Amino acid sequence: MSAHDEEWPPDADLMRPYSLTGGRTRPSRTDLALTAQVVSVPGSLPSGADPELELIVSLCVHPLSVAEVASRAGLPLGVTRVLLADLADRGCVVVHTSSWEYRRPDTATLRSVLERIREL
Amino acid sequence: MDGTWTVTESTLAGPVPDTLKIVVAGGFGAGKTTLVASLSETEALHTEERMTSISVGVDDLEGVEDKTTTTVALDFGRITLDPTTVVYLFGTPGQRRFSYMWEELVQGALGAVVLADTRRLADSFDSIDFFESRAVPFVVAVNCFDGHSTHRPEDVRTALDVSQHVPVLLCDARRRDSAKEVLAQLVSLVLRLAQADT
Repeated sequence: MSAHDEEWPPDADLMRPYSLTGGRTRPSRTDLALTAQVVSVPGSLPSGADPELELIVSLCVHPLSVAEVASRAGLPLGVTRVLLADLADRGCVVVHTSSWEYRRPDTATLRSVLERIREL
Repeated sequence: MDGTWTVTESTLAGPVPDTLKIVVAGGFGAGKTTLVASLSETEALHTEERMTSISVGVDDLEGVEDKTTTTVALDFGRITLDPTTVVYLFGTPGQRRFSYMWEELVQGALGAVVLADTRRLADSFDSIDFFESRAVPFVVAVNCFDGHSTHRPEDVRTALDVSQHVPVLLCDARRRDSAKEVLAQLVSLVLRLAQADT
């Protein structure tokens, strides 16, 4: 526990979300980029799971980014990442990171993106 | 639980889209949230990263009297270009003390938009320095709102001291067609850079 962690004020609204993660502030995996797409695996979450986990799994029936999951679940980003990592480790969700997160799209893709933006 | 780790994308509902990330930066009150909202297909989205007490400070509010709260959260929007391509627009948290969030935002970003408010041009310096130092392609969009649209792009370029290859354009962040043009200019720039590399 670093000095940084000890700065957290005893604010109920602040503490509650992290009680969902058992106090953990770091996810168990690092492939949870803001734009990474999360998709739930049907029927994989046992009944009686935490309502927050059920909510996340139900939100991700269709692909949804990590940032959108946090927004729609109304949970802080850090908490969302810890919960998503748990769900991924348990095989309840699959995380897909776009190759464009690692390298720029090729020129043909960029041209097509540009055309579509102009058509919006 | 057997077998759940071997699940493949083909067993899941529909295609999983590839994603592009574009960062929208600029001084406090320059219109980042407005630009994102103008472009987003959904109501602009919002998430928070909890800050420690040391992180919570107050912005300089001079000249932006209409805005009374600080942004310690992430505003973002989504544009689905087609079923396999989604663009996410992320507004930067407006304070340098959240720089770890800026680092994450530029990681893998296609490029950035720096919104400039001519009343407070110096507020754009931080963003410009940051993107230049991280080699993130960016355009400067001068947000002309409330009648403050008397500046020419070339004057702004000189004042901001950005290089000739950086597009500088005027926009109205509230108007979707104007915001769309800003995005198009950024993607055109990235395309030119990609072509120059090949």
